[in-house]
Amino acid sequence: MSERTAFWRGSIVLLSLLTTVFTQAFAEERTTMDPRLVTPGKLTVGTGDPVYPPWMLNNDPASGEGFENGLVYELAAEMGFDADDVVWVGQTFDQAIAPGNKPYDFAIQQISVTEARKQIVSFSRVYFQPEKAVLALPGNTLENATSYDELRDARWGATIGTTDNDYLVNVLGVTEAAIYNEQVDVFQAMRAGQIDGTLISLPTALYVTAVQVPEANIVALLPPDENDRGHGLLFEYNNPLVEWVDDALTAVIDRGVVEDLKAEFLIADPDLPIITE
Amino acid sequence: MTDSQSPQTGSLGGAERRPPPPPPGRSYNWREALAPSLISLISIVVVFGALAWVITSAEQWPRIKLQFFNIDAMIAAFPRVLQGFWINMRIWLIVLVCILVLGIALAVIRSLRAPWFAPFRLMVILYIDLFRGLPALLLVLLFGFGIPALNLPGLPSSSLFWGAVAMMLSYSAYVCEIYRSGIDAVHEGQWAAAKSLGLTEWQTMIYAVLPQAVRNVMPAMMNIVVALQKDVALLSIIGVRDAVREAQIYTASTFNYSSLIVAAGLFLLATIPMARLADYVTRRDRARRLQVGG
Repeated sequence: MSERTAFWRGSIVLLSLLTTVFTQAFAEERTTMDPRLVTPGKLTVGTGDPVYPPWMLNNDPASGEGFENGLVYELAAEMGFDADDVVWVGQTFDQAIAPGNKPYDFAIQQISVTEARKQIVSFSRVYFQPEKAVLALPGNTLENATSYDELRDARWGATIGTTDNDYLVNVLGVTEAAIYNEQVDVFQAMRAGQIDGTLISLPTALYVTAVQVPEANIVALLPPDENDRGHGLLFEYNNPLVEWVDDALTAVIDRGVVEDLKAEFLIADPDLPIITE
Repeated sequence: MTDSQSPQTGSLGGAERRPPPPPPGRSYNWREALAPSLISLISIVVVFGALAWVITSAEQWPRIKLQFFNIDAMIAAFPRVLQGFWINMRIWLIVLVCILVLGIALAVIRSLRAPWFAPFRLMVILYIDLFRGLPALLLVLLFGFGIPALNLPGLPSSSLFWGAVAMMLSYSAYVCEIYRSGIDAVHEGQWAAAKSLGLTEWQTMIYAVLPQAVRNVMPAMMNIVVALQKDVALLSIIGVRDAVREAQIYTASTFNYSSLIVAAGLFLLATIPMARLADYVTRRDRARRLQVGG
């Protein structure tokens, strides 16, 4: 008899243990202890190294000052994380798109969502769709351009990894733009007279003309490319966290956080000319 | 073996002299000839099969295949990458001709022995120290971005031009040293012999030493030719749309790396024949030398 009771008692204990483990695993999903996180208890976020204003100010993502890190801290709060639980991982663009396991839950680096990229990585919903700005030095032919045809005749430069080159190819029909590794190289080529101008997302262009290359001007704005869905958070392909982060992101966007951040960090000059054809 | 030996002993023992039968083993033994090839074939199949099995059984293989060996992406990227590769080839040929000429000129100046050449020798040594001591990548950046930014009148601002100049300066320093080693390897007696014939130092160099020196360094030079072919890709960082840059543009735009495989294939198509040619030249040269020696 005692043996049998021991057996039943043992099975019951085992069963209850199993159920607690299971229910706990499911109960922990969508909490800060979610086992699907890279480090449960922490929200690990990848971003560029270095990071550039106005997306993140002072090369310090943890400060929370800037459009993108501001958004991440709002998102983390929405998901239940304390600001201290957000861990930043620096990476280059090449590392962001490299195959294999990613050392973060998601990355935020002004990465544009496109159909082709979706085959390789997963994206959150789009949180921002920037306009494109044409940047040129004073006295350049681009200053007086008023149509796509005139833009097409210029010598263009762009940074690799951005969708700026895709824009040049798909919208303007410029196929021979010089493509550089870094943004500074584009400006150096512009100063050296190797290219006439560059295409760049408007918030970056505003910062660049204000701080980095004050002699350059934004000479025109261009409408968004319909193939470029805008910036999204980048996940490892089929990361199960996408749904949770998407829900939180939707809540954050609905609260008007993105609009506020835009107003604070990404203000455009309303007087810039727009070229649409 | 045994049955072929018995008639031999018989013929030796016998009084009549018959011509000896053909020596054993001369007839073609298919089994012995085929066995090594068969073993190598099986070994190759087993080793590469095992490797293929290990690689494709990896959990991530389907993703890697999609991202690196995607036929559709390769086809999509091919025209642009090929266009870029054509630029590689043109830069390579032009720079190659320039470095071979410049390198030999520098080597000759450095190897001339008359005292009044001293300042020129010093200049060449400084040149080599400078351009061989700097990474080619750095030279490409400095020339490609730095010189055009000076906006000097009369000089081209093309990054292609200045990048090619940087490659030329860097490689000609190496090539100069290779030529010089070839010149140094020419026996001292050749100089003495030329002198005794009444040749001036310059004539000795041109007619007696250089032809031998160039032959000495052919294999090493083939190596440089292949290396240069690949290093032209360095120009991609200053905005030249070569094969590597075209492939990177596709990768950055789609996150698909198959375009890099396309570029790799094109480079191999060009460099493997060069390597075989280098082997051939080396072998032929060696055969000639051995004949000369014997």
